[in-house]
Amino acid sequence: MELSTEEIGDITVVAVLNEVLDAGNTDEFKTGFASILNESHKMVFEMSHVKFVDSSGCGTLLFCQKQLSKLGGNLKLCGVQEPVRSLFELVRMDRIIDIFGSKEEAIKSFQ
Amino acid sequence: MKKVKPLVLIVDDNSINIDLLVNTLKNDYRLGIAKNGAKALEYADKHLPNLILLDIMMPEMNGYEVCTRLKAAIKTKDIPVIFITAMSEEGHKTKGFEAGALDYITKPFHAAEVKARVKTHLSLKEARDQEIYIASRIQQTLLLGQPPHNIQGIQTAHLTAASQKIDGDFYDFFKHSDLCFDIVVGDVMGKGIPAAILGAALKSHLLRVLNELSFLTNKNNLPEPAQIISSLHKQVIDQIEDLETFATLCYARFDMARYVYSFVDCGHMRTIHFNNDTNNCSLLRGVNMPLGFPEKQPFRQKTVRFKPGDLFVFYSDGITESKDRNGNLYGEKRLVDFVQTNAKIEPGNLINGIWNDIVAFSESETFDDDVTCVLVKIDKRASCSVSSTKSKLEIISDLKELEKVRAFAREFCDRVKDSSLDARRIGMIELAVTEVAVNIIKHAYKSRSGEMIQINAEAFADEIEIRFYDWGERFEPKSVPQPVFDGSRECGFGLHIIAHAVNEVLYSRDDQGKNCTCLKIKLTGGN
Repeated sequence: MELSTEEIGDITVVAVLNEVLDAGNTDEFKTGFASILNESHKMVFEMSHVKFVDSSGCGTLLFCQKQLSKLGGNLKLCGVQEPVRSLFELVRMDRIIDIFGSKEEAIKSFQ
Repeated sequence: MKKVKPLVLIVDDNSINIDLLVNTLKNDYRLGIAKNGAKALEYADKHLPNLILLDIMMPEMNGYEVCTRLKAAIKTKDIPVIFITAMSEEGHKTKGFEAGALDYITKPFHAAEVKARVKTHLSLKEARDQEIYIASRIQQTLLLGQPPHNIQGIQTAHLTAASQKIDGDFYDFFKHSDLCFDIVVGDVMGKGIPAAILGAALKSHLLRVLNELSFLTNKNNLPEPAQIISSLHKQVIDQIEDLETFATLCYARFDMARYVYSFVDCGHMRTIHFNNDTNNCSLLRGVNMPLGFPEKQPFRQKTVRFKPGDLFVFYSDGITESKDRNGNLYGEKRLVDFVQTNAKIEPGNLINGIWNDIVAFSESETFDDDVTCVLVKIDKRASCSVSSTKSKLEIISDLKELEKVRAFAREFCDRVKDSSLDARRIGMIELAVTEVAVNIIKHAYKSRSGEMIQINAEAFADEIEIRFYDWGERFEPKSVPQPVFDGSRECGFGLHIIAHAVNEVLYSRDDQGKNCTCLKIKLTGGN
């Protein structure tokens, strides 16, 4: 799983570099996520490379959000592409995880 | 070849009686012994003896009850039972016959009498079995035809289960051209070999009539069904009247060029016509008397138009008159309802479904009457130009194969070139096929790797069908809980997604345990 991280203040911005987040790689994604969990529990997933997400992918994002909020943090998404966004709306994920147009907006929302 | 000796079961609680009977019969028969009613029932069910000698006075379960139970079970109901009793009073004998026994022997035994009665009843049973065998051979070889091949734009399925009392159900197909065929379904009143032979005779007369009439008319001008049945009637009426019987029959023609169904119905079961557009069934009935009645009126033919996706169901009264344990009939309404609910699944699966429903209703796989059913389904494809777009993919049950499935769906949609298949819609289809494949791998195959999944995609004029086949566990959509959208659960969205991503989802499973998940995607027809 290709995740590249960037620390901006106490916020970790994670660029998801895979094009696909489906049942075939969600386990790897969870492992990758566990390895970047650090002091900071505020995360932004930058999703602009991701072209396809299925229900397992949605479940995985919900899992990450739950982990972070348990630790007192939160997960925000940005750069979500249109087809993926329609899926999030279909399973009402947009009501559980905040989605922003740009990385900056997402970071700003933590302040 | 040496014949295996018949198996006779002796049921008696008294060892002396058993010894006497064993000594009398041991040279001529294989013998089984049961010392009480429960053991007798168990033995009969397991070994199916050719004949049972049953003592009346036994502790716990007496002989009457044993006999009643034997007669109530499909497996054992035809085994001849002879009562043995020390009581010669008429009352006991009557009670024994009422319970289903064929004969009785009174104690003390006379060896010669016991031998004679056992032999007689075994011979009678053998003769009955032989008749059933001959009748069922007649039925299989002479009465039931094979559906035509190479008829463009139809699928057929058929089902027959001969009852133990064979009657004269028959059906056949006559292909005139690649776009036209006839079907005949009929039922001769009466049972056994006479009915089966009359059915076979009717069919051979029908072939002769068809042959004669086609000589008289040119190839583009086929004899009409009404003409065919009138000629058949003329040929057979005298013979049928002599036999004091009659036959119900429906003779129908499918004209696939004009989408017209014409039929002559002579008192047969009403054909079910499922109309795909309105999602409704209508029952097609004619006005003619059965063959064998002295018909004065000319035979009248009716005509119905049909459309792609429509379905015709022909059946015998063996289906509608099958009974549940309380004697209630399965009935026409139940069959129509079943067809209406399931009309869109594949004909092969539908006919299995009909069979399973009758079996579940009657709690039996054998019936008093022959059960026959023939389905003719008009393909959706028939409305499309001749060549439809088809594609196949086979994958193994591995989550790493998902991208292959998406690429398959994407490329197929590109080939179909329908204006309604824009990027967003194709994205949704990719999503649906992923979810279906994941469900099959995780649930049907319980995450076992190396199992096979077949995917067939086919485009028709008005829709795309993508079918997934797997050989895993049965899937019950109703057993899946509703999705929870409050973020508390991370799974359970798959079915919700599939249902929204495509226009229709159908699940079915055949007798061999092959599951089919069919996704339907409506097209607008534009390029």
